[in-house]
Amino acid sequence: MSELQSRFEAIYQNNYQKIIRVCMGYVNGDEALAKDLTQEVFIKVWKNLASFREEASISTWIYRITVNTCLLQLRKKKYVKGEEAIDKLLVSEENTHFSKEYQLKKMYQCINKLPKESRGIVLLALEGLPQKDIAEIIGVSHEAIRVRIHRIKNSLTKCVQNDRI
Amino acid sequence: MTGFKDLKSQWGNQNKVEIPEDGAKKILEKIALVRKKQQISNVVLGLTAVVLIAFFFYVSAYKFQTVMIGLLMMIGALVLRIGIEILSLRRLKNMNVTTTLEKFKQQMIGYYEKRKKVHFIATPIIILIYCFGFVLLLPAFKESLSVGFYNYIVVSSIVLFVVLSLFIAREVKRELLGLRELQR
Repeated sequence: MSELQSRFEAIYQNNYQKIIRVCMGYVNGDEALAKDLTQEVFIKVWKNLASFREEASISTWIYRITVNTCLLQLRKKKYVKGEEAIDKLLVSEENTHFSKEYQLKKMYQCINKLPKESRGIVLLALEGLPQKDIAEIIGVSHEAIRVRIHRIKNSLTKCVQNDRI
Repeated sequence: MTGFKDLKSQWGNQNKVEIPEDGAKKILEKIALVRKKQQISNVVLGLTAVVLIAFFFYVSAYKFQTVMIGLLMMIGALVLRIGIEILSLRRLKNMNVTTTLEKFKQQMIGYYEKRKKVHFIATPIIILIYCFGFVLLLPAFKESLSVGFYNYIVVSSIVLFVVLSLFIAREVKRELLGLRELQR
Protein backbone atom coordinates (compact mmCIF):
# COMPACT_ATOMS: atom_id res chain seq x y z
CA MET A 1 0.00 0.00 0.00
CA SER A 2 1.44 3.41 -1.00
CA GLU A 3 1.81 6.27 1.46
CA LEU A 4 -1.10 8.09 -0.19
CA GLN A 5 -3.32 5.03 0.09
CA SER A 6 -2.51 4.64 3.79
CA ARG A 7 -3.33 8.30 4.31
CA PHE A 8 -6.62 7.87 2.46
CA GLU A 9 -7.46 4.81 4.56
CA ALA A 10 -6.86 6.83 7.75
CA ILE A 11 -8.97 9.75 6.48
CA TYR A 12 -11.76 7.32 5.59
CA GLN A 13 -11.79 5.69 9.01
CA ASN A 14 -11.59 8.99 10.90
CA ASN A 15 -14.20 10.88 8.91
CA TYR A 16 -16.76 8.36 7.64
CA GLN A 17 -19.23 8.82 10.53
CA LYS A 18 -19.39 12.59 10.32
CA ILE A 19 -19.54 12.68 6.53
CA ILE A 20 -22.42 10.20 6.33
CA ARG A 21 -24.32 12.18 9.01
CA VAL A 22 -24.03 15.35 6.92
CA CYS A 23 -25.03 13.42 3.78
CA MET A 24 -28.08 11.98 5.58
CA GLY A 25 -29.18 15.56 6.19
CA TYR A 26 -29.24 16.18 2.45
CA VAL A 27 -31.37 13.11 1.62
CA ASN A 28 -33.96 13.08 4.39
CA GLY A 29 -32.14 10.50 6.44
CA ASP A 30 -32.25 7.85 3.71
CA GLU A 31 -29.28 5.68 4.70
CA ALA A 32 -28.82 3.96 1.33
CA LEU A 33 -28.73 7.27 -0.56
CA ALA A 34 -26.48 8.81 2.09
CA LYS A 35 -24.05 5.89 1.66
CA ASP A 36 -23.94 6.56 -2.08
CA LEU A 37 -23.33 10.26 -1.46
CA THR A 38 -20.60 9.46 1.08
CA GLN A 39 -18.92 7.20 -1.45
CA GLU A 40 -18.96 10.06 -3.98
CA VAL A 41 -17.40 12.33 -1.36
CA PHE A 42 -14.56 9.89 -0.69
CA ILE A 43 -13.97 9.40 -4.42
CA LYS A 44 -13.44 13.18 -4.65
CA VAL A 45 -11.25 13.10 -1.55
CA TRP A 46 -9.03 10.46 -3.15
CA LYS A 47 -8.86 12.30 -6.48
CA ASN A 48 -7.78 15.53 -4.78
CA LEU A 49 -5.70 14.13 -1.95
CA ALA A 50 -2.39 14.36 -3.78
CA SER A 51 -2.93 18.09 -4.37
CA PHE A 52 -4.00 18.87 -0.78
CA ARG A 53 -1.62 21.61 0.34
CA GLU A 54 -2.61 21.88 4.01
CA GLU A 55 -3.53 25.55 3.57
CA ALA A 56 -6.72 24.60 5.40
CA SER A 57 -7.10 21.92 8.07
CA ILE A 58 -7.91 18.45 6.71
CA SER A 59 -11.29 18.57 8.43
CA THR A 60 -12.26 21.88 6.77
CA TRP A 61 -11.02 20.54 3.44
CA ILE A 62 -13.13 17.36 3.74
CA TYR A 63 -16.23 19.28 4.79
CA ARG A 64 -15.80 21.55 1.77
CA ILE A 65 -15.67 18.52 -0.49
CA THR A 66 -18.72 17.10 1.30
CA VAL A 67 -21.02 20.12 0.94
CA ASN A 68 -19.87 20.73 -2.64
CA THR A 69 -20.25 17.09 -3.68
CA CYS A 70 -23.71 16.92 -2.11
CA LEU A 71 -24.73 20.08 -3.98
CA LEU A 72 -23.39 18.57 -7.20
CA GLN A 73 -24.92 15.12 -6.76
CA LEU A 74 -28.35 16.28 -5.60
CA ARG A 75 -29.22 17.29 -9.16
CA LYS A 76 -29.43 13.56 -9.99
CA LYS A 77 -32.87 11.95 -10.16
CA LYS A 78 -32.31 9.29 -7.49
CA TYR A 79 -31.48 11.93 -4.88
CA VAL A 80 -34.47 14.08 -5.82
CA LYS A 81 -36.66 11.04 -5.04
CA GLY A 82 -34.89 10.75 -1.68
CA GLU A 83 -35.74 14.37 -0.94
CA GLU A 84 -39.43 13.64 -1.48
CA ALA A 85 -39.58 10.42 0.55
CA ILE A 86 -40.03 11.74 4.09
CA ASP A 87 -43.63 12.99 3.82
CA LYS A 88 -44.90 9.43 3.60
CA LEU A 89 -42.81 8.39 6.59
CA LEU A 90 -44.26 11.13 8.76
CA VAL A 91 -47.88 10.29 8.01
CA SER A 92 -47.39 6.69 9.17
CA GLU A 93 -45.81 7.77 12.42
CA GLU A 94 -48.33 10.28 13.66
CA ASN A 95 -49.00 8.27 16.80
CA THR A 96 -45.44 8.35 18.04
CA HIS A 97 -44.87 12.10 18.06
CA PHE A 98 -42.41 12.05 20.92
CA SER A 99 -40.26 9.12 19.86
CA LYS A 100 -36.61 9.86 19.19
CA GLU A 101 -36.94 8.54 15.68
CA TYR A 102 -39.96 10.70 14.90
CA GLN A 103 -38.21 13.83 16.16
CA LEU A 104 -35.18 13.05 14.06
CA LYS A 105 -37.27 12.47 10.97
CA LYS A 106 -39.08 15.72 11.57
CA MET A 107 -35.71 17.44 11.82
CA TYR A 108 -34.66 15.88 8.51
CA GLN A 109 -37.89 17.08 6.95
CA CYS A 110 -37.31 20.62 8.20
CA ILE A 111 -33.69 20.62 7.01
CA ASN A 112 -34.99 19.51 3.65
CA LYS A 113 -37.26 22.54 3.39
CA LEU A 114 -34.25 24.83 3.52
CA PRO A 115 -32.40 25.97 0.37
CA LYS A 116 -29.48 23.61 -0.36
CA GLU A 117 -26.84 26.13 0.68
CA SER A 118 -28.55 26.75 4.02
CA ARG A 119 -28.82 23.00 4.50
CA GLY A 120 -25.04 22.76 4.32
CA ILE A 121 -24.63 25.55 6.87
CA VAL A 122 -27.10 24.14 9.38
CA LEU A 123 -25.72 20.61 9.04
CA LEU A 124 -22.24 21.89 9.85
CA ALA A 125 -23.68 23.79 12.81
CA LEU A 126 -25.47 20.63 14.01
CA GLU A 127 -22.15 18.79 13.72
CA GLY A 128 -20.80 21.32 16.21
CA LEU A 129 -18.27 23.08 13.97
CA PRO A 130 -17.13 26.51 15.17
CA GLN A 131 -18.56 29.44 13.18
CA LYS A 132 -15.06 30.39 12.04
CA ASP A 133 -14.63 26.98 10.40
CA ILE A 134 -18.10 27.12 8.82
CA ALA A 135 -17.23 30.55 7.39
CA GLU A 136 -14.07 29.06 5.90
CA ILE A 137 -15.99 26.16 4.36
CA ILE A 138 -18.73 28.35 2.92
CA GLY A 139 -16.42 31.17 1.84
CA VAL A 140 -18.01 34.17 3.55
CA SER A 141 -16.89 36.42 6.41
CA HIS A 142 -17.24 35.33 10.02
CA GLU A 143 -19.74 38.12 10.62
CA ALA A 144 -21.87 37.15 7.63
CA ILE A 145 -21.95 33.49 8.66
CA ARG A 146 -22.88 34.45 12.23
CA VAL A 147 -25.99 36.27 10.97
CA ARG A 148 -26.88 33.49 8.55
CA ILE A 149 -26.46 30.73 11.12
CA HIS A 150 -28.64 32.66 13.56
CA ARG A 151 -31.38 33.03 10.94
CA ILE A 152 -31.21 29.40 9.79
CA LYS A 153 -31.15 28.06 13.36
CA ASN A 154 -34.32 30.05 14.09
CA SER A 155 -36.05 28.78 10.95
CA LEU A 156 -35.14 25.19 11.74
CA THR A 157 -36.19 25.40 15.37
CA LYS A 158 -39.51 27.04 14.44
CA CYS A 159 -40.14 24.40 11.81
CA VAL A 160 -39.51 21.53 14.22
CA GLN A 161 -41.76 23.18 16.82
CA ASN A 162 -44.62 24.28 14.57
CA ASP A 163 -44.14 22.42 11.32
CA ARG A 164 -43.58 25.79 9.60
CA ILE A 165 -40.46 27.34 8.08
CA MET B 1 -40.21 23.60 23.60
CA THR B 2 -37.35 22.43 21.40
CA GLY B 3 -34.44 24.84 21.11
CA PHE B 4 -31.52 24.53 18.74
CA LYS B 5 -29.41 23.04 21.54
CA ASP B 6 -31.94 20.20 21.87
CA LEU B 7 -31.89 19.66 18.13
CA LYS B 8 -28.10 19.55 18.20
CA SER B 9 -28.14 17.01 21.00
CA GLN B 10 -30.73 14.86 19.12
CA TRP B 11 -28.54 15.13 16.06
CA GLY B 12 -25.46 14.01 17.95
CA ASN B 13 -27.31 11.12 19.60
CA GLN B 14 -28.65 9.52 16.45
CA ASN B 15 -27.64 5.94 15.73
CA LYS B 16 -24.23 5.56 14.20
CA VAL B 17 -23.92 4.06 10.73
CA GLU B 18 -21.31 1.33 10.65
CA ILE B 19 -18.15 2.05 8.70
CA PRO B 20 -18.11 -0.41 5.77
CA GLU B 21 -15.45 -3.05 6.04
CA ASP B 22 -12.69 -2.45 3.46
CA GLY B 23 -14.62 0.70 2.45
CA ALA B 24 -11.53 2.68 1.44
CA LYS B 25 -10.18 -0.27 -0.56
CA LYS B 26 -13.53 -0.71 -2.33
CA ILE B 27 -13.56 2.98 -3.29
CA LEU B 28 -10.11 2.66 -4.86
CA GLU B 29 -11.29 -0.44 -6.72
CA LYS B 30 -14.38 1.41 -7.93
CA ILE B 31 -12.25 4.29 -9.24
CA ALA B 32 -10.05 1.81 -11.14
CA LEU B 33 -13.15 0.09 -12.56
CA VAL B 34 -14.69 3.39 -13.71
CA ARG B 35 -11.43 4.31 -15.43
CA LYS B 36 -11.38 0.95 -17.21
CA LYS B 37 -15.02 1.38 -18.30
CA GLN B 38 -14.19 4.84 -19.68
CA GLN B 39 -11.37 3.36 -21.73
CA ILE B 40 -13.72 0.66 -23.08
CA SER B 41 -16.35 3.31 -23.96
CA ASN B 42 -13.71 5.31 -25.82
CA VAL B 43 -12.73 2.24 -27.83
CA VAL B 44 -16.41 1.43 -28.58
CA LEU B 45 -17.09 5.03 -29.68
CA GLY B 46 -14.00 5.02 -31.89
CA LEU B 47 -14.96 1.68 -33.45
CA THR B 48 -18.52 2.92 -34.09
CA ALA B 49 -17.12 5.93 -35.94
CA VAL B 50 -14.85 3.67 -38.02
CA VAL B 51 -17.76 1.31 -38.86
CA LEU B 52 -19.97 4.26 -39.86
CA ILE B 53 -17.30 5.69 -42.14
CA ALA B 54 -16.60 2.24 -43.61
CA PHE B 55 -20.34 1.72 -44.23
CA PHE B 56 -20.51 5.14 -45.87
CA PHE B 57 -17.89 4.02 -48.44
CA TYR B 58 -19.20 0.44 -48.66
CA VAL B 59 -22.62 1.58 -49.90
CA SER B 60 -20.86 4.21 -52.06
CA ALA B 61 -23.02 6.88 -50.45
CA TYR B 62 -20.70 9.55 -51.86
CA LYS B 63 -21.98 8.74 -55.38
CA PHE B 64 -25.47 9.96 -54.52
CA GLN B 65 -25.17 13.57 -53.56
CA THR B 66 -28.55 13.99 -51.84
CA VAL B 67 -28.14 10.78 -49.88
CA MET B 68 -24.63 11.82 -48.90
CA ILE B 69 -25.73 15.26 -47.72
CA GLY B 70 -28.69 13.77 -45.84
CA LEU B 71 -26.51 11.17 -44.12
CA LEU B 72 -23.81 13.67 -43.29
CA MET B 73 -26.36 16.04 -41.80
CA MET B 74 -27.85 13.32 -39.62
CA ILE B 75 -24.51 11.88 -38.51
CA GLY B 76 -23.04 15.37 -38.06
CA ALA B 77 -25.99 16.43 -35.87
CA LEU B 78 -25.62 13.31 -33.73
CA VAL B 79 -21.84 13.70 -33.39
CA LEU B 80 -22.27 17.35 -32.47
CA ARG B 81 -24.86 16.52 -29.82
CA ILE B 82 -22.73 13.72 -28.33
CA GLY B 83 -19.68 16.00 -28.39
CA ILE B 84 -21.55 18.72 -26.47
CA GLU B 85 -22.72 16.18 -23.88
CA ILE B 86 -19.19 14.78 -23.43
CA LEU B 87 -17.79 18.30 -22.97
CA SER B 88 -20.53 19.14 -20.46
CA LEU B 89 -19.84 15.97 -18.46
CA ARG B 90 -16.12 16.70 -18.51
CA ARG B 91 -16.82 20.21 -17.25
CA LEU B 92 -18.90 18.83 -14.39
CA LYS B 93 -16.21 16.29 -13.51
CA ASN B 94 -13.46 18.89 -13.52
CA MET B 95 -15.24 21.29 -11.18
CA ASN B 96 -13.06 22.14 -8.21
CA VAL B 97 -14.84 20.57 -5.24
CA THR B 98 -12.15 21.61 -2.77
CA THR B 99 -13.03 25.28 -3.04
CA THR B 100 -15.52 27.16 -0.84
CA LEU B 101 -19.25 26.50 -1.25
CA GLU B 102 -19.81 30.06 -2.55
CA LYS B 103 -17.22 29.64 -5.31
CA PHE B 104 -18.47 26.16 -6.11
CA LYS B 105 -22.00 27.50 -6.41
CA GLN B 106 -20.76 30.06 -8.92
CA GLN B 107 -19.10 27.26 -10.92
CA MET B 108 -22.40 25.37 -10.95
CA ILE B 109 -24.39 28.45 -11.96
CA GLY B 110 -21.88 28.97 -14.80
CA TYR B 111 -22.38 25.35 -15.84
CA TYR B 112 -26.17 25.65 -15.86
CA GLU B 113 -26.04 28.97 -17.76
CA LYS B 114 -23.98 27.23 -20.46
CA ARG B 115 -26.45 24.33 -20.51
CA LYS B 116 -29.25 26.83 -20.99
CA LYS B 117 -27.50 28.10 -24.13
CA VAL B 118 -27.10 24.50 -25.31
CA HIS B 119 -30.79 23.79 -24.74
CA PHE B 120 -32.20 26.95 -26.27
CA ILE B 121 -29.74 27.62 -29.10
CA ALA B 122 -27.66 24.54 -30.00
CA THR B 123 -30.30 21.82 -29.49
CA PRO B 124 -33.02 23.34 -31.74
CA ILE B 125 -30.43 23.92 -34.50
CA ILE B 126 -29.13 20.34 -34.15
CA ILE B 127 -32.68 18.93 -34.25
CA LEU B 128 -33.47 20.97 -37.38
CA ILE B 129 -30.30 19.76 -39.12
CA TYR B 130 -31.11 16.16 -38.16
CA CYS B 131 -34.71 16.38 -39.40
CA PHE B 132 -33.66 18.11 -42.60
CA GLY B 133 -31.10 15.36 -43.25
CA PHE B 134 -33.78 12.72 -42.66
CA VAL B 135 -36.22 14.42 -45.05
CA LEU B 136 -33.47 14.52 -47.70
CA LEU B 137 -33.09 10.74 -47.38
CA LEU B 138 -36.82 10.00 -47.75
CA PRO B 139 -36.94 9.93 -51.60
CA ALA B 140 -34.03 7.46 -51.62
CA PHE B 141 -35.83 5.29 -49.05
CA LYS B 142 -39.06 5.42 -51.06
CA GLU B 143 -37.23 4.37 -54.18
CA SER B 144 -35.38 1.44 -52.72
CA LEU B 145 -37.69 0.10 -49.97
CA SER B 146 -41.10 -1.58 -50.00
CA VAL B 147 -44.12 0.65 -49.24
CA GLY B 148 -44.70 -1.10 -45.89
CA PHE B 149 -41.12 -0.71 -44.73
CA TYR B 150 -41.01 2.89 -45.94
CA ASN B 151 -44.16 3.72 -43.96
CA TYR B 152 -42.70 1.92 -40.95
CA ILE B 153 -39.56 4.07 -41.11
CA VAL B 154 -41.55 7.30 -41.41
CA VAL B 155 -43.98 6.48 -38.59
CA SER B 156 -41.35 5.06 -36.22
CA SER B 157 -39.13 8.11 -36.82
CA ILE B 158 -41.98 10.45 -35.92
CA VAL B 159 -42.73 8.45 -32.76
CA LEU B 160 -39.04 8.38 -31.83
CA PHE B 161 -38.79 12.12 -32.46
CA VAL B 162 -41.76 12.85 -30.18
CA VAL B 163 -40.43 10.57 -27.41
CA LEU B 164 -36.95 12.09 -27.65
CA SER B 165 -38.37 15.62 -27.62
CA LEU B 166 -40.38 14.87 -24.48
CA PHE B 167 -37.30 13.36 -22.84
CA ILE B 168 -35.15 16.39 -23.73
CA ALA B 169 -37.89 18.78 -22.54
CA ARG B 170 -38.01 16.98 -19.17
CA GLU B 171 -34.25 17.16 -18.78
CA VAL B 172 -34.24 20.86 -19.70
CA LYS B 173 -36.97 21.53 -17.12
CA ARG B 174 -34.96 19.69 -14.45
CA GLU B 175 -31.79 21.65 -15.21
CA LEU B 176 -33.63 24.97 -15.24
CA LEU B 177 -35.09 24.11 -11.84
CA GLY B 178 -31.57 23.35 -10.61
CA LEU B 179 -30.38 26.73 -11.82
CA ARG B 180 -33.32 28.56 -10.23
CA GLU B 181 -32.68 26.84 -6.92
CA LEU B 182 -29.00 27.82 -6.96
CA GLN B 183 -29.89 31.43 -7.70
CA ARG B 184 -32.47 31.84 -4.96
